[in-house]
Amino acid sequence: MPRHWLACLLLVGLMPPDVPAQSRMPLVVEAALDRQVIAPLLDAFARAHTDIALEYHDRSTLEVDRRAREVRPAPDVVISSAMPWQLARVNEGLAQPLDSDEARHWPAWAKWRNEVFGFTFEPIVTVYRLDLARHMIPPTTHADLHTILNTHQGLLRGRVTTYSPGRSGVGYTLFQQDARYSPRFWDLVAAMGAAGVSLEDNTQAMLDGLTEGRYWVGYNLLGSYAMHWAQTHPEVIVQVPQDYALVMMRMAFVHRDAPHPAAARAFVDFLLGIEGQRILAGSTPLFSVLPEVIGPYTAQRLRDQVGERLYPIPINASLLAFVDRLRRDAFMARWNREISILEDGD
Amino acid sequence: MIVVDGTLKRRLGVWLLATVGILGACLLVEAYTSAQRAADRAYDSQLEAAGLTIAEAIQWQDGRPIVEMPAAAFQILATDQQERVFYAILDTNGREVTGNLDGAVTPAWQRDAEDESVWMTVQHHGTPIRLHGRELTSAGWESLDPVQIWVGHTLSGREALAGDLFVRTLTRFLAMVLVAGLLMLLAIRTALGPVRRLRQLLRQRDADDIHPLHARVPGELYDMAETLNALLARQREGRDALLRFTADASHQLKTPLAGLQSTSELALQSDRPDDWRQALEAVHGSAARTSRLAGQLLSLARLRHAEETSLAATDLPALLRDTVMEWAERDVAQQHDLGLTPLPDAPLRIQGEPWSLREMIGNLIDNALRYTPPGSEITLGLERHIDSVTLSIEDDGPGVSDELLGRLHQPFERGGRQDTQGSGLGLAIVDSIARRHDAVMSVRNAPGHGLWIGIRFPLLTEET
Repeated sequence: MPRHWLACLLLVGLMPPDVPAQSRMPLVVEAALDRQVIAPLLDAFARAHTDIALEYHDRSTLEVDRRAREVRPAPDVVISSAMPWQLARVNEGLAQPLDSDEARHWPAWAKWRNEVFGFTFEPIVTVYRLDLARHMIPPTTHADLHTILNTHQGLLRGRVTTYSPGRSGVGYTLFQQDARYSPRFWDLVAAMGAAGVSLEDNTQAMLDGLTEGRYWVGYNLLGSYAMHWAQTHPEVIVQVPQDYALVMMRMAFVHRDAPHPAAARAFVDFLLGIEGQRILAGSTPLFSVLPEVIGPYTAQRLRDQVGERLYPIPINASLLAFVDRLRRDAFMARWNREISILEDGD
Repeated sequence: MIVVDGTLKRRLGVWLLATVGILGACLLVEAYTSAQRAADRAYDSQLEAAGLTIAEAIQWQDGRPIVEMPAAAFQILATDQQERVFYAILDTNGREVTGNLDGAVTPAWQRDAEDESVWMTVQHHGTPIRLHGRELTSAGWESLDPVQIWVGHTLSGREALAGDLFVRTLTRFLAMVLVAGLLMLLAIRTALGPVRRLRQLLRQRDADDIHPLHARVPGELYDMAETLNALLARQREGRDALLRFTADASHQLKTPLAGLQSTSELALQSDRPDDWRQALEAVHGSAARTSRLAGQLLSLARLRHAEETSLAATDLPALLRDTVMEWAERDVAQQHDLGLTPLPDAPLRIQGEPWSLREMIGNLIDNALRYTPPGSEITLGLERHIDSVTLSIEDDGPGVSDELLGRLHQPFERGGRQDTQGSGLGLAIVDSIARRHDAVMSVRNAPGHGLWIGIRFPLLTEET
């Protein structure tokens, strides 16, 4: 973080004299995306647009959603990983369409109404500690995980973690999507409940727990953060599930009431542009969506590594079902029932 | 004077344009509304499918509807146009159990949907949306209350489809107009072909060629060609008459002039004053006849080519009486018994020209005097009919043969007689004057004796 501030100061010092600092166009971005992960892209944007003063706020998904709905003046750009909520806001008419080359050429499966764009390609992964590998064969599929939870119940008790569907929008979305693919997901929930699963609010908390040794295995972590973390924490192993891997996309839109629409459009265009995507692929673990971009973190490279078993959460109206009140109530009721269903049996 | 008043091409073009314009406007209005209807039908069925999909997922538990909202319903609602979607499930009290319509469904709409499914286009937060509402009554353990399902979406798909359909119709229509216009131009060219041919035919003619036209023409042009031929025929007749008249007149003048020449030659060869005097007398008489002949020719020419007639109400009996009186006193009439039948007392007025009428009566009398032997009785009279009056002259002379009767009014026709001093122009002049008065001349042999000539004038009615 301080490094970033320094960069900003340096940039201000290098600014051409005809653009005084106070006359720069402000731009407010509300994002559920870790600042240090996205920093290379923000720096590049600041270099490319010296006339825009970027104000980047990193918040939780629920807070980002609340601010998009209620706070006025509205943010210019809204970025969040809580895909159903983002789509619901766009469906309400809170976004404005983009008519740039970048927006038009963006793959159709990764955008909706030319208003909201999925600009990252983040696989959902299982993460385990090396300790676990010493006692059993590490799980490579959902079924493996279910098996070791059953066979090593005593050993793993209290050492399993995953998202809280009640407190995390991302977690809720992932579980909903899991439940759509297989009814055996509920067996896994019951098994995790039997193992006394710890429910966390975000991936970082789970990674911290894994590093500290509190947890041995974590389910449904954001691959982007986990891979980034694993580079500096060798005790943590990231496993992309081999049966199927969900893919989460950060969704960005320009707010309908954006006070600085020109700057907002410039920012989103930069996110979707070839340069922005190249930075995502090369300098962040967020993975570029565009097939023509080359770098260590691209959707194409991920496919080459794990095969065709990547299932991006679709960006379309079906996401609205996840934020439906009744469906959410029904899901939570079932979750609560399943997670404690085996406890009484013990 | 021929004035060019536009062209047929332009006229037909204007008509075509007007027709196409009016028809086109109607057609396009119809096309627009039917495109809208078609688009609405197509997309309304999507709304219905989404509503049914949601209805399928509704179950009852603890007296409340519970729905695991099917994701497919939203995709059906959004369509491939990625419409914004709206939905609500309302319980019996109109409370929104779930949905994102925020109470936009009014109680009135809910009442409408109780009876049957409803469709409506409404404004929702400033955006027009299409809404579909249906009521669902379902079995449950505790509750049997119906719920209402409302689904809706924005209109961009409908507008795009309707616009697409409309543009397609418009394109087809414009292509049709273009083809019709080209065909019409071709048709005009073909249709005007006969007119062009007729024109060429007329242009190629010599100035004095007045033979009838021989051409193939369409029915519409037949009248014109026929009229043209009739005009040519009249011209031909007129020219023939003129040639005949000129030839006859030359011939008539040539005879006395030849007489004059031979008489004067004989006189010149003689040395005796008696012969000279005799010749001079013959020359005098011949000159007088020639002069009279020339005068008659002149008056006939004048009558035939009179530019204007100055007709006025004329009392025919008075005029007849005066003229007969005048003639009775002349020397030429002394050998004959010139008389008048009793004339009506009341004036009989005709539309007439006094000087020419007098000339006419004079010619009739002169004619009778010349062609009857001395001592003949010549009687003039008037006979009134309902709306006409006949002026008649009758003599007890030899009459003429029946085949000559019809030709008597032609110039230089002497009724087969070469023994008189007449020029043969008298009755021609009478006929010309009669024609000027819309009168009809008829000639017949009087029963038993002589010739009867009647001229029937239309009477001037009292009111006019």
